[in-house]
Amino acid sequence: MKKSANEYDAIIIGAGIGGLVCGCYLAKAGMKVLIAEQHNKPGGYCTSFKRGEFTFDAAAHSFGGMRFGPLGKIFNELKIKEKINIYHCDPSDIIITPDLQVSFYSDINNTIKNFQEAFPNENYNIERFFNFLINSEKNISISIRKSNFSQILDSFFSSSKIKSVLSFPIFGNSGLPPSKLSAFLGLKLFKEFLLDGGYYPEGGMQNLANALVEIFKENGGELLLSSKVNKIICDGKNALGIRLLNNEQVSSKYVISNCDMRQTYLKLLGKEFIDKTFLNTIKKMSPSLSVFIIYVGLKEPFYGNYFEPGSNIWYLFDYNLDKNYFNSKKGFFNDINNLMMHIFPDRKSVTFFINASFKNKMYWTENKKVIMNLLLDKIEKLSIENISDNIKFKEAATPYTLFKYTSNYKGASFGWAGITSQLVLPGFIKNTFIDGLFMTGHWTTHGFGIPGVTYIGYETAQKIIKNFKR
Amino acid sequence: MVDKKVLEDEIREIISDVSGYDLEDIKPETNLINELEIDSIKAIEITVAIEKKYKISVRDEDVPKIVTLNDAVELVHGMLNHKEN
Repeated sequence: MKKSANEYDAIIIGAGIGGLVCGCYLAKAGMKVLIAEQHNKPGGYCTSFKRGEFTFDAAAHSFGGMRFGPLGKIFNELKIKEKINIYHCDPSDIIITPDLQVSFYSDINNTIKNFQEAFPNENYNIERFFNFLINSEKNISISIRKSNFSQILDSFFSSSKIKSVLSFPIFGNSGLPPSKLSAFLGLKLFKEFLLDGGYYPEGGMQNLANALVEIFKENGGELLLSSKVNKIICDGKNALGIRLLNNEQVSSKYVISNCDMRQTYLKLLGKEFIDKTFLNTIKKMSPSLSVFIIYVGLKEPFYGNYFEPGSNIWYLFDYNLDKNYFNSKKGFFNDINNLMMHIFPDRKSVTFFINASFKNKMYWTENKKVIMNLLLDKIEKLSIENISDNIKFKEAATPYTLFKYTSNYKGASFGWAGITSQLVLPGFIKNTFIDGLFMTGHWTTHGFGIPGVTYIGYETAQKIIKNFKR
Repeated sequence: MVDKKVLEDEIREIISDVSGYDLEDIKPETNLINELEIDSIKAIEITVAIEKKYKISVRDEDVPKIVTLNDAVELVHGMLNHKEN
């Protein structure tokens, strides 16, 4: 039966990467799909913006997992390379501390050699650790579900310095120190982000989102931008569609939320429709940290041996990651002793990232500039001499900014915190009380970042397609 | 006493949810690894989901013994009865 204009098989709320991948697969399976996005561009955390001559990626700034993990297979299936060129930046990540510098290269043997030179006493352990990671599919044991990432590192290394250096980029990519991060997630992130990181779509991260939109549309999908959904319509048993902010109603058999989980259930669906146990579970869960981002446009381009555009440059000024985490969580910006720098291909647009916790709008209105300047002073003192004389443009995004543009609860960078007790949450993709309502994206807790949400988008789509064909 | 039939249906639901296979495809004797493509990551997901649902802690050495749905039902059944006594 032909469907009327306002009737779809599936509606996806949010055009983040998870929602877009899910949408591509549903549309490819012949379903009539609509994606509604609140922002005026698609991508969620994967967008870019222009300020004068400078182009910045708003949050996500590279991705991993083309070789290891399912992302490569999914991008091949969607033929994404027909839409965009994907560069591989080598080295993908560089860690700089007061007394050493190590890099993650595309060739893992080079990475191993580089770490062995920096930590000669851990020679054999380094080899053992990287081999364990490469074969983790085989090596991963079920007991890992109860461990944290520190315990894994302890089983390989004795020096606390190498443990900090190896977990620092994982801290940056999860918002948790190894003592709190689930071992399972830690290994997954390590493999996808560090052993196989540094991929970048030509022209900026926005182009990855745009390419997925193109594929989605070629398969008959429709995308509504600047269209905030304010209600998921349901009859108590089945999802029936959505209502947009302008009161327009759209019906569908499936509603898939790619946005924050608390908002999906508590606000869009409504407490009265939620199973009590499920409601209590969500209310007790804690989100991951957010991030404070500084966007800087330079007068003179950056050159230098470790200032290669595209690499994630991780500065660690204090090896104690628990302390670094505590300061980020408490908002003690004065005492923050780590940051990540990313230089764009023009060598003039630069971003800095610092883990940060959520505070309300008023706090940031008062403190945003002060914190930005404080951090830039620190950057100048500890890593890049005379940067202040070279700045033409500077702007910052706070956890509140991230919340405003993406509606992620507390501006969380990675959905729920990746602690062991929140590792797997049954029923988070498909709940048991409302038929036809699904979730996708990082709030379903299976994974972080672009590789994580790409996989979840695919998984959600497979579940729906099976259900649809029944 | 916990009803084995109820357990079987509930655990089948969990396996179906994680593996993406339909409920009908998961018979008591279906081999989870070979026939349902349950890899190490999915095995962890299923184990954690079962532990959360029944508030039990499966011993690590027992997990490799679970080859079929039936094995999982027997294990959980045994643990729940042990808990009741």
